Amino acid sequence: MDKISVQDVTFTYGSEGADASAPNEPAVENLSLEIEKGSYTAILGSNGSGKSTLAKLIDVIEVPDSGRVVVFGKDSADDSLFWQIREKSACVFQNPDNQIVGTIVEEDVAFGPENLGVKLPELRERVDQAMKDVGIYDLRLREASGLSGGQKQKLAIAGALAMRPEVLILDEATAMLDPRSRDEFLKVAEDMRIKKGLTLITITHDMSEAMRCGKVIILSKGKKAAEGTPAKIFADIPLDRYGLRRPVIIRFAYELARLAGKTISEEDLTGEARLSERLYKILTSAELKADGEILSGKDTEKKQTKGRKIMAVKDLFSSYDGKTFAIKNINLDVYEGEILGIVGESGCGKTTLISHMNSIMKPSSGEVEIYPEEGITLRCSQKKDVQKIRQTVGLVFQYPEYQLFEETVYKDICYGLRKMKLSADEQKDRAIKAAKAVGLEKDILRRNPFELSGGQKRRAAIAGVLAMKPEILVLDEPASGLDPVGREEMFALIKSLRDSGTTIIIVSHNMDEAAAYCDRICCIKDGEVAVTKTPEELFADWDEVRKIGLDLPKITKFSSRLKEELKKVIPQADFGRPLFEPEAEARAVFNAVLEAGRKNAE
Amino acid sequence: MQYWKRGGKMLNDISLGKYYKADSILHRTDPRIKTLLYLVYLVVIFMIRSPFALFALGLVIVIQLLMSKVNARVVWKTISPVLPLALFIMILNLLTIRQGDVVFQWKIITVTDYGFTRASLMAVRLIFLIMSTSLLLTLTTTPLKIADALESLFSPLKVIKVPVHEMAMMMSIALRFIPTLIEETDKIMKAQVSRGADYDTGTFVNRVKGYITVLIPLFVSSFRRAEELAVAMDARCYRGGEGRTKLNPLKLKGTDVLVGLFMFVCAAGLVVMDLTLR
Repeated sequence: MDKISVQDVTFTYGSEGADASAPNEPAVENLSLEIEKGSYTAILGSNGSGKSTLAKLIDVIEVPDSGRVVVFGKDSADDSLFWQIREKSACVFQNPDNQIVGTIVEEDVAFGPENLGVKLPELRERVDQAMKDVGIYDLRLREASGLSGGQKQKLAIAGALAMRPEVLILDEATAMLDPRSRDEFLKVAEDMRIKKGLTLITITHDMSEAMRCGKVIILSKGKKAAEGTPAKIFADIPLDRYGLRRPVIIRFAYELARLAGKTISEEDLTGEARLSERLYKILTSAELKADGEILSGKDTEKKQTKGRKIMAVKDLFSSYDGKTFAIKNINLDVYEGEILGIVGESGCGKTTLISHMNSIMKPSSGEVEIYPEEGITLRCSQKKDVQKIRQTVGLVFQYPEYQLFEETVYKDICYGLRKMKLSADEQKDRAIKAAKAVGLEKDILRRNPFELSGGQKRRAAIAGVLAMKPEILVLDEPASGLDPVGREEMFALIKSLRDSGTTIIIVSHNMDEAAAYCDRICCIKDGEVAVTKTPEELFADWDEVRKIGLDLPKITKFSSRLKEELKKVIPQADFGRPLFEPEAEARAVFNAVLEAGRKNAE
Repeated sequence: MQYWKRGGKMLNDISLGKYYKADSILHRTDPRIKTLLYLVYLVVIFMIRSPFALFALGLVIVIQLLMSKVNARVVWKTISPVLPLALFIMILNLLTIRQGDVVFQWKIITVTDYGFTRASLMAVRLIFLIMSTSLLLTLTTTPLKIADALESLFSPLKVIKVPVHEMAMMMSIALRFIPTLIEETDKIMKAQVSRGADYDTGTFVNRVKGYITVLIPLFVSSFRRAEELAVAMDARCYRGGEGRTKLNPLKLKGTDVLVGLFMFVCAAGLVVMDLTLR
């Protein structure tokens, strides 16, 4: 009775429709799993693994083709229980804009209970309570479309809570939020689970989110691939196979243990403190000092030398309404061949800034110069330079795949080239090269972009910008919405573009990725540049980072705590600057401990 | 490159159908009353022919503006997109009406005094119509309330199986998504401009073609949004109007009736004035 039970369920989209001649692959196949009442479960899996379908099955938005879904003793196949189940489970989906029905906050919160036929005054009481629970009561009369992303998702939770559900399903609900809103959002949901005994199910690509759960279920191609506590999952399961990765901290720990020839057990993964303790023991054990081998060379691929200055943003002010400045007094130099990260909280002006780099916005005052130190300087204030700037600085917006429009991928890639009025041969040549650069097969060029998978679509959209041969490529959150392996591939692509000579500017929310892949990071706070530094310098000063309102990379937080502990017993260890790739940082820590041991022995 | 002049966001000036948050008598008035008044004024505005009555109508609209506490600049933003159309109608009328005394003649262009009055009346009427509509309805009433009002007013039609609730729901959702779609259009246009698109120059055909490349992704994403919204509404147990309750049910209060009566008397006065002055 007290669990959600999915029994041997198979479900195929469109199976009821007339198009039976070409049946789709089942989205979920022979899936069986159980989720206890009041538990906190994460569902992981690569894009297209059937996670969202599972959510819809539990919420009876879809009914299985075969097998049974029983929610707290109620079978979803029983038509008379249908509404009862749906009433008791609520969903929060990924895109906040597409789940808000009401114009005004309280009207939207009321939508669910209104549908249930809850009468006044209980209705009012439920709505007010739900808004108070998630902390948006003060916003109750605001227009929903004017809220921030984080507020909109809280509104979505409030709308769910007002229905007094027993199950709350978060379907990639944090994917579009910045780290701070993400954390706040999860805390609200977790809080509700504890206070109201909700069963919380979170579908996510964020592995550290999965660490917060009691149980993790991995789906792969519509089937259950693994199940267990987060510790068990991250200790034993070959995650790569399912398009997943271990959380950065655990990657770091495993690399350290591997170097030391030690193992990490499931118990060690039950908490960060515990894991840290284990690593401390490994690194301070006597045998390590005796026969460890110092690894040669620093394996950071980052560029140490600065290229020529390729872009200069000078005293830039910009405003949307003519009154308040979205960005102010921005000064920023970009050097050829670097990867520059732009980070900051949602709404701090990052997107506005990059819009100016490509001259699609005109500044209130200030200047953006391309090739500032050469005779051929392009200036955004010069009308004749604008088209040239747009070609020189390619701009890829967030979720660029939503902007594809042509019938074939090839035509879409050629769009900019046609606007440049290049010859057909030149267009063809460039389009093929651009497609190759982003890793798209030649035969995909002939296909309709809307038939491609999410990752392929995004690559096609990037190719459309690359084909214009920009010297600088600006990408707004290039990896958002992708699964962990997809993210890695995206960053590998970005690196390869840099290596072939393109200067890269990335806007990112993810501090670990920004730190690991960028040569320099520019932090924006409230529309101003707070600081521009290398990640090593930036994340050495924790107070400063926090003052800007940013998070430290998870790896840095974890690793520095470990290093501090180690320093107490191995004071002569020189850990040097922090590195941000978990494996590289593990090697660096290991080397430092070994070297210190050597010195001691001598 | 006109989008520059508008300060970056290409489409953010459209406030047609946008709610203006304030606490005023008109905001608090029952949306059914406001909808009925809107219909009354729609008829009145098209009936009026005398310039004096039209002037009086202007005064009534000022009263509406004061009652609504809406910032005059917002009202200006609402009517400014309609001005070119008003001008066009005016010119068309000027050139086609041949009655009355000729005041100006050049080649085939003939302007008469009667034509001039009629043409200006037409243009002013159109502007007044937009102002009155937005003050009475869209600026002071949330889309959901308008939908509520329509549902309530048309509910007798349910007897003859008209899906009144469904239509009202569709309308309110359409209105709710206007800002979202404007934002989306803006994004798509920016992305294409950054790839060299130029919507404001070139031949007419080319410009239309340029907008097609905006419309396709916009349509595709609207379908995607519609699908996601349908799932979200399903998840929140939406099952049509039957058995649905309302957080803010419509209740007719004394003040609503007063506002309704007052505006109605104004409208009636205008008609009488117009008929006597004609």
